[in-house]
Order: sequence, then C-alpha cells, then structure tokens
Amino acid sequence: MRNEKYSVIGSRQPMIDSLPKATGHAQYTADLALPGMLIGKLLGSPYPHAKVLNVDTKRALSLLGVKAVVTGADILGKKYGFFKSRRDETGLARKARYIGDPVVAVAAVDEETALEALHLISVDYEELPAVFDPEEAMKQGAPLIHDEYERNIVASREFNFGDVNRGFRESDYVREDRFSSQAISHGVLEPRAALAQYDVSGKLTLWTSTQSPYFVRRDLSLVLNIPESKIRVIKPHVGGGFGGKVELGPHEVAACLLAIKTGRPVKICLTREEEISTTRLRVPMIVHAKTGVKKDGTLIAQHIKCIADGGAYASSSVLLMYNSGLTCMIPYRIPNFRYEGHMVYTNKAVSGAMRGHGANQPRFAIESQLDMIAEDLSIDPADLRLRNATQAGDTSISGLVFNSCELSKAIKESIKQTDWRKKRIQQKPYRGIGLACGGFVCGARLGGHAASGSFIQVNEDGGVTLMTGSSDIGQGSRTILAHIVAEELGLIPSDITVLSGDTETTPIDAGTFSSRVTFYAGNATLIAAQDVKTQLSEIAAYLMETNPNDIVFKDRKVFVESNPESCLSFEELAKKAESLGPGRLIIGKGYWAPTNTQFPDRKTQYGNVSGAYSFAAQVAEVEVDPETGQVNVFKLTIGDDCGQVINLLGAEGQAEGSAAMGIGHALMENIIFGDNGQIMNPSFLEYKIPTAQDVGDVCVLEVGSPDPVGPYGAKEIGEGLLISTVPAIVNAIYDAIGVRITELPVTPEKILEALEKQKRREYHASTS
Amino acid sequence: MKRRITLNVNNELWEVEVEPHRTLLEVLREDLGLTGTKEGCGLGACGACTVLIDGAPILSCLTLAVDVQNKSITTIEGLAKDGQPHPIQLAFVNYGAIQCGFCTPGAIISAKALLDRNPKPSCEEIKEAMSGNLCRCTGYIKIIKAVDEAAESLTKG
Repeated sequence: MRNEKYSVIGSRQPMIDSLPKATGHAQYTADLALPGMLIGKLLGSPYPHAKVLNVDTKRALSLLGVKAVVTGADILGKKYGFFKSRRDETGLARKARYIGDPVVAVAAVDEETALEALHLISVDYEELPAVFDPEEAMKQGAPLIHDEYERNIVASREFNFGDVNRGFRESDYVREDRFSSQAISHGVLEPRAALAQYDVSGKLTLWTSTQSPYFVRRDLSLVLNIPESKIRVIKPHVGGGFGGKVELGPHEVAACLLAIKTGRPVKICLTREEEISTTRLRVPMIVHAKTGVKKDGTLIAQHIKCIADGGAYASSSVLLMYNSGLTCMIPYRIPNFRYEGHMVYTNKAVSGAMRGHGANQPRFAIESQLDMIAEDLSIDPADLRLRNATQAGDTSISGLVFNSCELSKAIKESIKQTDWRKKRIQQKPYRGIGLACGGFVCGARLGGHAASGSFIQVNEDGGVTLMTGSSDIGQGSRTILAHIVAEELGLIPSDITVLSGDTETTPIDAGTFSSRVTFYAGNATLIAAQDVKTQLSEIAAYLMETNPNDIVFKDRKVFVESNPESCLSFEELAKKAESLGPGRLIIGKGYWAPTNTQFPDRKTQYGNVSGAYSFAAQVAEVEVDPETGQVNVFKLTIGDDCGQVINLLGAEGQAEGSAAMGIGHALMENIIFGDNGQIMNPSFLEYKIPTAQDVGDVCVLEVGSPDPVGPYGAKEIGEGLLISTVPAIVNAIYDAIGVRITELPVTPEKILEALEKQKRREYHASTS
Repeated sequence: MKRRITLNVNNELWEVEVEPHRTLLEVLREDLGLTGTKEGCGLGACGACTVLIDGAPILSCLTLAVDVQNKSITTIEGLAKDGQPHPIQLAFVNYGAIQCGFCTPGAIISAKALLDRNPKPSCEEIKEAMSGNLCRCTGYIKIIKAVDEAAESLTKG
C-alpha cells in the first residue's frame, strides 16, 4: 500500500543485503574459520531416559589430533532456559532425557578425527523408565522426567472470562470436537553452527546462528558461570530461524566449553540429522474445542483445552501455553471464553517456538469447527466469520485492545477476489474452496528485558550507519529498518549500512521472536532517525537562515519547503555539520517498548499483552485426486492486515513463504517418532518440505490500515499468516470431497481411507 | 592416503592434496575457501551445494573431489564477470527471490544450468528444474519469477 506522503515506506525494494547473498559472499557461521581452529562434535544418548554414570575418555584423548573432551561434569554454572521459572537445561546432560540428548563433546583438529573420537568414548548409563505419550505422561505413577514436576506437567495455563457454562446454556447450538496436530521441523536451510573463541583476558566470543544474541549471552553466562560482560555473541548471516534458533543450544555450550578448555577456537556445525532430531520442533498438540452459537451463528461461548507434548525440556513452554489461549481471542468477539492448556514433558526431542508459537494448533481446531458449525446451521462460513469478526476499537473479554483491525475487509476482499459464493455452489468434482481467519501479536509482553534500541551515525560523506540489536535472520529486518531511516532522512535504503546482532557493539535487544522486530526495533529506529533529523535540521536551518521545522529531507537533498530549488545535498549537509563551530558528530539514538501493554494479571490473566494485533483471512482452493489422495493447493488468496506495509517486496515474500510452509504443514510435514521416542525421519529425504512444484498461485491482498502504535502504522506479518493457512486448506479439502480430517497432516493415506469409508457409508445407506 | 589433484574451478587451476573420500563440497569450502557453496543436508536432498560440472548441475556433497579432475567446475563465486553480477543473480536480487540466502547460491546455479540448456523455459519447466533446491523462506514464487525474468533479460542480450 503506497501512501503518497511517503517516499520509501510502502515501496517495493530489494533487500539491502541480497547482493552479497546472491554472489556467495555473505558469510554464515559455518563459513567462518579462525587460525588454529578445532572442529567439535557431539555425542548423544542412545537411551530415551538414562543417568550418565561414567564417561571414559581415555581412548579418545589418546587419538592423535584429539584436543579435548567435555561432559556434563564440566558444567560449573547453573541450569538455563527461556524462562527463569523453567530453567532445566545444562547443554551436556548428566541425565539424558531423549534419544540424541547430547552428553559428551569432543574437539579435534578436523571433523574426521572428532568423529572417530566419538566412537572411542564409552559412556556408562543407568537406564530409567521412559514415557512418550503426553496423556500417559500426565497419569499418576508415570516416570518423572524432571523430578520437580508432578505428573510431568511443565506448564499449565488457565483462564476463564465471562461465564462459559451459562454461555453454553444460552446457545442454540453447541459442538464439541477433538483435533490433533503433528510435530514439525523448522526445516531451515542452514543447520545451526557455532564458533567459539576464548582469549587470555578471559573474554569469550561466540559467532552463532541465532535469532537472539541476547538470550544466548544471558544463558551462556548462567551455564558457564561467566559474567555477561565477558561474553560477546555475534550473529553473522543466519539461514532462517522461524523460532527454532531463539534459544541457547547444547552445541553452543559445548563449543564454548571446548574453546575454554583448549584455548583454541572451536567450531561445531550440526548435521541435518542433528538439526532435525536434537534441536527444537513445533509442539504436537491435542485440542478439544467446544463452541456454542446462536442460530444466526453468533458466538456465545467457547471452551478450548490443549494438551501439548513438550518433549524433554521446557523451552518456551510457559509462553507457548499462554499464547495458545490468548490468540484464540484475537479474530472473533467471544463473550464467554475458557481455556486450559497443559504442556507435558515426554522423553522425546524438545518442542519449542515456531512461527505462530502456540496459536496454530488451536486455530486449526477452531477454524475447522467453525466450518462444521456453519454447515450444521446452513450458514455460509464467510458469513459466520463476518458476523463474529473483531472490529477496530474492540477490547476482547480478556483485555486485548484492538486499535486497528481490518479483518472484515480481509474476509470480504478475499471472498470477492476468489468468487467464493459462486464457487461454493458450482464446483467441478473434487475441487474445493475453504476459508479461515487468524490474528497474532506484534511482540507479546514479556517479563524481563523487552525494549529495542538503535544508534544512528551520520558519516562525513553522507552515508548513514544504523546499529540495531535486532537480528535479521533472513526475514529482512535490516531492510525494513533501513527503509525507516531512509524515509526520515530523505535517502534511499541502500544508503544505509545496518550493523545488527552483536552484543558488544549494538544496543541490547531481546531478539527476533513473537513477531516483534518491525514493531519494536522499527519504532526505536524511527526515534533514532528523528533524533538525527532534528540535529541536522537545526544545522540546515542555521545555514539557510530559517526555522528547523521548515526543513525538508527528500531525494538525498535538504531544502526549505517553500524553496526546493535552493538546496543542499545530504552529503554537503553532513560534511558541514561535522565541521561547524568546534566540530561535532551527528549521532542519533532511540529505544522503544510499547506503553499500551500490560503484563497479564497473574490471577485472571487479563491484560493487553501486545501493542497491536495483525489479522488475516485466507481462501484456499484445492483439487483432490480421488485415485491417489494427493491434494493440489492451486491457489491461496490472502487478505492481510499487517497495517501499513513498509516494504512491499518483503511483505509479499513473507506471505508467499508462509503460504508454502502452510501447505507443508497441512499436507506433508510430519516428524515420526519410533517406539523409544527416536525421530525416524531426520533428513530431507524422509521429512518432506514443499518444493517449487508443490506451490500454486498466491495472491496477497493488502487490506490493512495504519495502526496508531506501529512505526508508520506497521504491524507484524512474519508469523500471523501461517496460522490461518492450514485450516483454510483443510476446510477446502472438506469442500472438495466431503470428508473432514481432524488430525494433521492431511496425507494421501488419510484422504483415501476417508473416501473409502464415505463410499462404504453411501453404499450401506443405499442398500438399507 | 592423500592424492595430489588439479581442479579447474571458475576457470582457475587449483592444485590440492586431498584424501580420496573427501567430497567436492568439502574441498571447495575448506581447501579453496569458496564458502559460497553451502551444505544444507550432506545427503543430496536440499540442493544448497549445487555447482556446475561441465555445465550440468551437480550436488557437490555427493561428488568426490578426485572424480572431477579435468572437468570445468563453476561455483557461485564464478558467475560474476568483470565484477558485474550475472543477470540471474541480479534477477534474484531485484525480484525478491532471496530471504535468508542460504539456498540462494545453489538455486542460482540450478537456474544457470536450466537457462544454458533451455533459454526460454516455461513456468512448469522452471518449477521442475528448481524443484531440487529447497527453500524454506520464499515460497518459491519469487524464485520462479526471477528465473523467468532472467531468461528474458539473457535472451534479449
């Protein structure tokens, strides 16, 4: 959406760092090498639950080229983890809690020697009883994975707004259904890598593929017992994250321990197998949804119960289980709402944050169920949603404040664009059309550090350097922030150099997660850019003998509004500014956190947890092959309210990438666990993500209006869109073949089985 | 036992001593310092390590370095001419086909192989040729568009 008053905001621009990526010059962590560097490797537990009794490292250490071996006994500090209340990891386990849980690490002169050393290490284990199913793990008497958590419940969140029981009594129609969703790998193309260096002064430097240098430093400080100020974390280019790389990982701990022990740089690069089976997964969840409506489809009451399979460690559990409930209340007006969510430890790989962070699973359930209700009541699913859609100015019953919301417009535009009403009744056989909605936070309010900050320096030649703590992990935040600086200073985005994600040289920033970067770092950068503009305006006004408020910055020029001909170039102004009077530097700074949010009330969970909320409606069009069960999602139409778009090319890229991921989640991706909780498909050969041939058309409709809090009115787009893609596809499949699949993913096997059952039912009906 | 071999990479001859089991990917990245070629899976499933060998797209993680002596190897670093990026590289930049960029070198190499043998591919041909290069960020639409636009600009000359 172009707004005439802006030069850069809303325009379509290539990412400022894409040329080095296109030529192979952009460096990712695995590309880095230091003199004397050793290569590290991790050894994981072969048992799902076992105490490490003894590690015999003698044979490994006597192998030529092996420099050090570290185990859990070398961990001198405290446990770490995403939340203070749930710190349960040490990096190298003394009690292994899933197959692959790293217990030993080795550093050697090259990868081959390190791998050979792993074979020479013998570990004595005491096997413990294990549990793999979350519902089993919650039963009294199940083996405890972490002693302090009764019934293995690591996080429970409950809230109750209005009177749900009365709401159900007052409803004309109530439905109850059970849904489940699968474990998913983030499938980022860059496997995690870390390079650690420890110098004689006691400074530890870690280059690592992370979404949050801040969290990595904080948790390294805890586990290594080194002050944060003695740790520097640098984020080189990162090959995707999607939530998986937000936390400290065992390989990072191990690289640091080995670097400290050997005094030499140590690099550990995970293999794809390790990346899939020993890092983080999207949390599998069972969702019970009970919804009550009036005859006309008005939502009266909803009760959502989630049981999440947390795997071996807590990770983001507390926030994740909160999100699952909170995000239920974003897209629709619900007067009575109750939520119970439990995350349970199991002896499997760890569940953590992934794009949508807890919102996806209940939204799949709710959007599926709304379609079921619409059919039961003979209401068009689009009308059902329009009747209940959140409107700008609403406050949800849980205290979420929606200053901006264009969900109704998103629904109307996407159904108009797709000719929805006609296609609903006149479709070719095995073709279907489905709709779903969603909404998401723009950075959920967290306890602890939440603000973002920026420094801007204007260089003598008019070049501008922005230093931001935010982490570009490929989503394009460098470019977004460069747009903001360029807009304020009348430059073009490529005039701006963006340094990001280095705990020593850029401002402290919590990192990239919760779709917060454009919102938080964008506002911080806007403030810093305005600071620079104010300083330069004063100098320009002095030189032009006018009022600073009359100075305009445009097209790399600075002039008085009434007299654009008489202008200075930005470069001239920068040069003059620095030599004016006794000399000066033009440095701007800004930090920002929303003032319109609250930490939710501890008892009731009431509160506005985000400064703004994004909204989306999506229409999926599919064709099902009844012979093979294959589904072709040939078109996705996305009505997207992300507020004011900052970079149209980037926004489209987020929407299209999310669409492909949604197709993968809905139809093909599934982490398969074996009898001992081990991951059976830890490679891209067996764990299939969409290819160029699996993606159809994606049409993105910009329906947003500027939000009063976001920078220039921008809201998030990175996470929220994925939430509604999956149910839109599943609803379209129902429209195509008349069978409702409630367990993700919708594989060809499930479709064929359902079609077979349907045929049998029809046969029995015709013969009885 | 290491063997002394000569590799022709990006029209430069490199003499290296390698063990026979080392992959071309390892030798490119570790011995020649050409880290533009990426390792995404090490099993030939993701396409991030694609290079051209005598013009054909090959997965360097499944290719032994000793097997490609006397062949012409082109990596992503060899595409620019006289400091100017190749039109395919520019199209990837300008049409937003790059997000995290990790799959990009392999994808651009696959696109080059396609356009060298088929200068005017259809959309379906592009999708097929690019289907061995996994990308988790872009959703492929802008990659397909970039290859199509690059074809256009290359045929125009």
